[in-house]
Amino acid sequence: MLPLVRPGRAAAPLRRLCRRILLLSSSPQTPSPSSSSSPYSTKISPLLLLLSPRPSPASGGAWRWRGVSSCAVRAVDVGGEAASTSSDLSSPYLSVRIRCRKEDAEVLSEGLLCFGATSVTVDDIAAAGNLDEITITSIYAHGEDVDSSVSNAASSAGLEYKPVYETSVGKQCDWVTVVQETYESTKVINGLWVIPKWRTPPDPQAINIIINPGLAFGTGEHPTTKLCLLLLRETVKGGERLLDYGTGTGVLGIAALKVSCLVLLVYYYLQMGAALSTGIDIDPQAVTSACENMMLNGIDSNKMLLYLVPTNAQAACFPNIDKSEENKPTGGLELKSSKGSYDIVAANILLNPLLELVEDIIGYAKPGGIVAVSGILTEQVPKVEEAYSRYLENISVSEIDGWACLQGSRKA
Amino acid sequence: MATTLKDAVARKPVLATIRLIVPAGAARPAPPVGPALGFYRLNLMAFCKDFNARTQKYKAETPMQVTLTAYKDSTFEFVVKSPPVSWFLKKAAGIETASGRPGHNMVSSLTLRHVYEIAKLKQSDPYCKHMSIEALCKSIIGTANSMGIEIVKDL
Repeated sequence: MLPLVRPGRAAAPLRRLCRRILLLSSSPQTPSPSSSSSPYSTKISPLLLLLSPRPSPASGGAWRWRGVSSCAVRAVDVGGEAASTSSDLSSPYLSVRIRCRKEDAEVLSEGLLCFGATSVTVDDIAAAGNLDEITITSIYAHGEDVDSSVSNAASSAGLEYKPVYETSVGKQCDWVTVVQETYESTKVINGLWVIPKWRTPPDPQAINIIINPGLAFGTGEHPTTKLCLLLLRETVKGGERLLDYGTGTGVLGIAALKVSCLVLLVYYYLQMGAALSTGIDIDPQAVTSACENMMLNGIDSNKMLLYLVPTNAQAACFPNIDKSEENKPTGGLELKSSKGSYDIVAANILLNPLLELVEDIIGYAKPGGIVAVSGILTEQVPKVEEAYSRYLENISVSEIDGWACLQGSRKA
Repeated sequence: MATTLKDAVARKPVLATIRLIVPAGAARPAPPVGPALGFYRLNLMAFCKDFNARTQKYKAETPMQVTLTAYKDSTFEFVVKSPPVSWFLKKAAGIETASGRPGHNMVSSLTLRHVYEIAKLKQSDPYCKHMSIEALCKSIIGTANSMGIEIVKDL
């Protein structure tokens, strides 16, 4: 049973996004082929045209809002668990800067790691030049006894002096956004790009998948994401049902819906991509991120469904059920009953889960359906092939940069 | 990613060397990875995915030593080594934390047999291969002494 819970954390950013969309939709503009206007308008206006046979833009906007809240329902987000992981991430850490002699740096770092430091960073030794002393930065979990740790490390390293150090408390959240600024738009292949939310697409005519990664995996830069996107581009002909197993940011699910859209269709919004995408993940942050990315790309909630599944893949009973009226207890049943009906199943996770969950992954595909697994290194391919050859035929392997993607079709 | 650190250093200017202990298969953007890498603007998720893929063959959650070399152009390379000797010793002795006053308070004791087994495990680590078993044993005994674990001939 997979009861669906109304998301606490997911709702706020979604509502903000919806307000922005509503603002744009309230001033309908004729779509221009030149995208001097923001990326959003070229996406939203075609949708409006689709809606214009209906009464008015205002009610079109209202429909959009309803679409949002039903998206919010389907994206399951267990409030309690999300809160605990976020507190994990936002708890402060201790950053300790220690000065010591150059020669002792190596041994002292070993000692510090031994006695409770979670990481030790040594700024480039060569750059320290002629200075006798260098600085080591060490990170500790909050509440650790830094003093005893440093003195134990110093004595185990055989230092006669106790190194001078200063402690400062750091906060978690800041660096996540800082690193995000370095993400670039990635070209997967001619005509297919993955763009971070804060960048403009370099090629507006191409199929652009807009992603706000947050803490989920799948910005499009990693070779495995590229491999899967290329595979989708080749296999999606139109009207398929896709399951994205371990959806992360939802990039594969969104790509399947968008891919093989003709360029002309800025005026028309005719979907030549997959008919339906379903994304599942065990991480609530992934489901949140995927839901947001769905909105960013203007995907209807009935084209893409998202589920949070328990870590134990044999669907166990979820203990906390939200009794709000938006709760749809049939969601879990929908997922279970859809087993064996997907044309394409894509699983970009890791070797061990792939090996453990073989039956679960294959179970979702229909006989003759395509199953693609990735997130494996080239050297791990034989193991995966061995496990999957029981269920798949026509197995082929593609590789980029030492990472591989294995695909096959399910035996009848 | 498979080049040795020596080549790497010769090629590109190094910004910093980061040493971490990360549980195998369980790297996340949270600490210890997050602040350490985030400070140098390195691609966290790429490291997590890469590290998790490479440590699939080890028992989950075993703390692995990772040494990252961050280059000035925001790229990085890393090597995964076996868990720290102190972890092996703690597991063998069945204790959680080392002694606060090594030399004065002994928390546990192990036999030479244990030391030998640990040395053999360490030798399979490509970064310790050049050391002889004897040298490894001596270094393990040294670490044990600094932790307050006594090494005896027979228990």
